Amino acid sequence: MKRTLLVVLLGALLPALSACESGGWRTYDNNDLELVTVYTAKDACTCLFVMEREDEFCRAFVKANPSVAHLTIDREKKVVETSALLLWGARSRYVDERSGCVLDP
Amino acid sequence: MSRIRGVLALIAALLGVPGLAAAACPERDAWPTQDWRKATLPAGREPALQAFEEYAFTRVGKDEERKGVRTDAVVIIHRGRLVYERYARGFKAEHRHLGWSMSKSVTNALTALAVARGALSLDDSICKHVKATNEVACAITVRNLLEFGSGLDWKEGYENDSLQTSSVLAMLYGEGRRDMVGFITSHALRDKPGTSWEYSSGDTTLLAGVVGAAMKPRFGDGWEWKLLLEPVGARSMVLERDAKGTLVGSSLLHATPRDWAKLGFLFLNDGCWEGHRLFPEGWVADSVAVSEPLKHKRVDWDPGDVQGRQLWLNRRVPGLQDEKPWLDVPEDAYAMRGHWGQSVTIIPSLDMVVVRVSDDREKAFKLNTFLARAIALVEGTP
Repeated sequence: MKRTLLVVLLGALLPALSACESGGWRTYDNNDLELVTVYTAKDACTCLFVMEREDEFCRAFVKANPSVAHLTIDREKKVVETSALLLWGARSRYVDERSGCVLDP
Repeated sequence: MSRIRGVLALIAALLGVPGLAAAACPERDAWPTQDWRKATLPAGREPALQAFEEYAFTRVGKDEERKGVRTDAVVIIHRGRLVYERYARGFKAEHRHLGWSMSKSVTNALTALAVARGALSLDDSICKHVKATNEVACAITVRNLLEFGSGLDWKEGYENDSLQTSSVLAMLYGEGRRDMVGFITSHALRDKPGTSWEYSSGDTTLLAGVVGAAMKPRFGDGWEWKLLLEPVGARSMVLERDAKGTLVGSSLLHATPRDWAKLGFLFLNDGCWEGHRLFPEGWVADSVAVSEPLKHKRVDWDPGDVQGRQLWLNRRVPGLQDEKPWLDVPEDAYAMRGHWGQSVTIIPSLDMVVVRVSDDREKAFKLNTFLARAIALVEGTP
C-alpha cells in the first residue's frame, strides 16, 4: 500500500518537476498514470481483437512499469477498460476488421 | 559469389539507367496475391539452418522477464517463393502482428499511390490538404515529411525515456490522441523545412493525414484496400486511426507475417504487381536513396541510422557513415523497421525478403547477425 501511495504521489509530482527541468522544451499536459492507463487500454484491445491472442498473453504483453493499471476485458462487446487509483481511466473498443481498435475520445 | 553479385549489380545498374525506355515491370512466374507458393531450402543447408534458428529462436530466462531475443515469427521469401517460415510464443500463420514503425514504410507506399493517381505532388504544402494548427507548418511539403525533414520541434522517445517530454507518447496516448494532425502541426518549427533530419513519428502520421485527405474525396472510404491492400492480397492488414479518423501511419498498422512479406515484395518489384505499376516510376529508387536532409543536419541521430524515405538503408554515407550499417549484408538491402525488433528486409541483389516479427524488450537482437544467417540459408543457390 505504501508503494502504491508513492506511485500516486510520483504520478502527480513528476510532471511538475520535469517541466522545471526540461530547459524550455515543450512538455505535455498528461501525467504518467494517464499515459499508462491509455496505453494499456489501447494496446490490450489491439492484442486481443486485432492480434487475436489470449487474455493471459495480452495481459502480460501490455504490462507496464509501474504496473498500476487495472484491466477489464469484455470479449463480447470487444471493449477494454483500464483504471488506476480512482482518478485515471481509459477505454478502447474494437471497431471492425479494417480499423482495429480506437480509444474513446 | 562476389563475382556473381557484381554481375547482377551491373545488370541492375544498366537496367536502371535513366533515359532508357520506360522501366518495364519485373516479370514473375507467380505472384503471391492469393498466397505464397512454397519451395524448399537448397540441399545441405542443415548447419546453416541450425545456426539461423539458434540465433533467432533461442530464448533466455522466463517469459515474464522479457529477456533477450524474443522472435514471434520469421518468413523468408527467395525468388518469389516462401522458403522458410516458423512461428513461436503461441503465434501462428493467421495471427496478425503489430508493425510499430514498419507502418511508416506502408505510409510511403500509400503516398506513392496518391502521387501515381495525381492526388498530390511531392512539393505540395501540407496546407493544400489539411488545416495546420500553427500556420508556420504550412511551409512543410509532402517531400519534407517523406524525408523526415519537416523541421518540427519534435522529440521522439519511447517507454525508456522521459514520458513527459516524449512527443510520440503524447501523440499516441496523451493529449494528441484525439486529433493527431492538429497535435503535430501545433509544434513550432525548429529548422526551416528540408534543412534538417530527425526521425519523427509526427512527420509520418502527418503524412498519412495529408495523403488520406487527398485520396478520400477522390476514391472514398476504404481507398487503401481498393488501391493497395486488395491488389497485393494483403487482406489481413489492419489500419488503426485516431478519434478523428486519421490513419496512425507511423505506428499502428498490423498484418500477418506473410502479408508483411507481400508489402516487402511490392518494393522488391519496383512498386509493380502482376505486371501493373502501382507506384510512380522511379519511386522505389528515390525511396532508397539517402534522405537529403540527413546529409546536412541531424537531430538525435545515431550511427547506423541511414534512412531514405521511411525506409532504413544499408548504405555508406561519405563523411558520416563509413561502414555499411549491416556489415555482412549486401549494400543494396533496405528495411522497414519497428519498435521491439520488427523488420521486413528487402535484398534486391539476392531477390529476397526477410520478415521478422518479435517482442524484444531489450536490445539483445542484432539485425546484421540475423540477416547474415538468413542469407546463408539460400546464398549461392544456382
